[in-house]
Amino acid sequence: MRLGSEPLLVAESLSYSYLERFAALEDVSLEVQRGERLALLGANGCGKSTLLKILAGLIFPDRGSYRAFGEEVSEPKLEDEQFSRGFRARVGFVFQNTDAQVFSPTVREEIAFGPLQLGLAPGEIEARTNDVVALLEIGDLIERAPYQLSAGQKKRVAIASVLVMNPELLLFDEPTAGLDPRSRHWLLELMSELGAAGKTIVFATHELEQLEWVADRCLVLSEAHRLLAEGTPNEILSDRELLLRANLIHEHTHQHGALLHSHPHERGHHATGTAG
Amino acid sequence: MAGGATTPAWLLESEAGAFPIGCSGRRRRGNALEKTLDGLAKIVRQAITSEETAARPGLLQSLDARAKLPGVVALLVAVGLVRHIPVLAGLYLFTLGLAAASRIGLWGFVKRVWLFIPVFTGVIVAPAMFSFVTPGEVVLPLGHWFGHEVGLTRQGLTSAGLIVCRVATSISLVVLLTLTTSWPGLLSALRALFVPRLLVLVLGMAYRYLFVLLDSISEMVVARRARTIAAGRNRHGARAAASFSGGALFGKAHALSEEIHQAMLARGFRGEARTLERVRLRAVDGTWLLACLVLAVLVVGGDRALGL
Repeated sequence: MRLGSEPLLVAESLSYSYLERFAALEDVSLEVQRGERLALLGANGCGKSTLLKILAGLIFPDRGSYRAFGEEVSEPKLEDEQFSRGFRARVGFVFQNTDAQVFSPTVREEIAFGPLQLGLAPGEIEARTNDVVALLEIGDLIERAPYQLSAGQKKRVAIASVLVMNPELLLFDEPTAGLDPRSRHWLLELMSELGAAGKTIVFATHELEQLEWVADRCLVLSEAHRLLAEGTPNEILSDRELLLRANLIHEHTHQHGALLHSHPHERGHHATGTAG
Repeated sequence: MAGGATTPAWLLESEAGAFPIGCSGRRRRGNALEKTLDGLAKIVRQAITSEETAARPGLLQSLDARAKLPGVVALLVAVGLVRHIPVLAGLYLFTLGLAAASRIGLWGFVKRVWLFIPVFTGVIVAPAMFSFVTPGEVVLPLGHWFGHEVGLTRQGLTSAGLIVCRVATSISLVVLLTLTTSWPGLLSALRALFVPRLLVLVLGMAYRYLFVLLDSISEMVVARRARTIAAGRNRHGARAAASFSGGALFGKAHALSEEIHQAMLARGFRGEARTLERVRLRAVDGTWLLACLVLAVLVVGGDRALGL
């Protein structure tokens, strides 16, 4: 982890509600250091995705302020061409719903979309496309249409389409949701490698498995959409009371070393696996 | 159960005896749900077949869509201007030759074209064959009507034949184009024809999300089928279900479109479509385009030489 003196992201007292009625975030503040890997933990509907979208400058808080790369991020500011280009080039967002993210007719066009919007030269776009295709091992998919891809393949394409822009900050929304074990392991490994390469990573999850491997620090959001706690993965995972309050584990979940597992209530079975 | 609520007693008891599982002999034919599922599967199957045909090695497949599309458009214009059935028949044979050279199954190709003609064109041209619509020399008398002989006229049959041949040849050309060109290829060809980039981008996305929405419809229909027990003829219920499904689908599509827009913004989209330019056209593409233009001119010229 490479920590700089000035935080890369600073958000203060963020509040957001959908349709001005349904609260999604209440008074949430956070700082993200350069090169840090931050996990946003919380149950379904606690506001993790909303927070990521605010950090990506896709939606704007009702109250509170947000600064990224030393600049205030706001709707009017993002209308400025230079600022928008600079901000979008620095921030990559991998959506949970890959169908929303992979929208081009072919994988090749999908990967080239971002660099094209940034105005990179055709030769540069081609070289970068070839590199990320090799990195993510999707060479055989390059001319395929997205509807011909599996969930895991679509996730790879979505990540390739973001990495090709070489962003400083990578935001992942529930990155491993809906992936098979092999794809899940591959993705966590990739996130770990990207973190080691100096990328700043913020990801939302409610899965606690392998958290220590991919995160330096965690923020826990409550079901009331407020910040509940902050700490290292070890500190968070060892606070059973906190995990129960955040609805990240069930009262029948136990930890043996790094492994969390659950006992279904009065059923006589014994299930081992992901907690939460 | 989770959350502290107790499981209702009936849920803990087996009701297997209430619904015998053996066959009664009464069978229910496929209903609207089955047909909808079949229809959805057919659309996806057709799209996959088209993509497979477009990926096969063949004459038309080897051409760049940016040359293929203008070439086909030139031939379509020629077909529209031709006034003699033998000329059109010749052009139709030419399309069969192109299909063979492009490794498209001839029987399937012919069937695809001619199945539509009686349905769409036949209805329009059938009245034109009769003497009361197109007066002229009656070649097939059918009787008398108020002292006038009624039947099929030579002029009527010629007009009908001309329209049918024109439609069959035009459809054949379009089918050839779509069967041998991938969707991205067609989009790049539209760009080459100076169709605005934004429109091409929207078309590309519309086709892309057609499959996502088809998946949603399919899931909704399967979910309904899983809970459909009796054959029932409840039309009101079926209509209500269709309208609820339509509403749910609209809601899904709206939410998806919002997220797609965000995904585009996140990657720097600012309302101006910038798309990948394909590699340069090759000599073979230019040759095809030139050949199509020459053929179109020759066909129209030859047709004019034959007189009216």
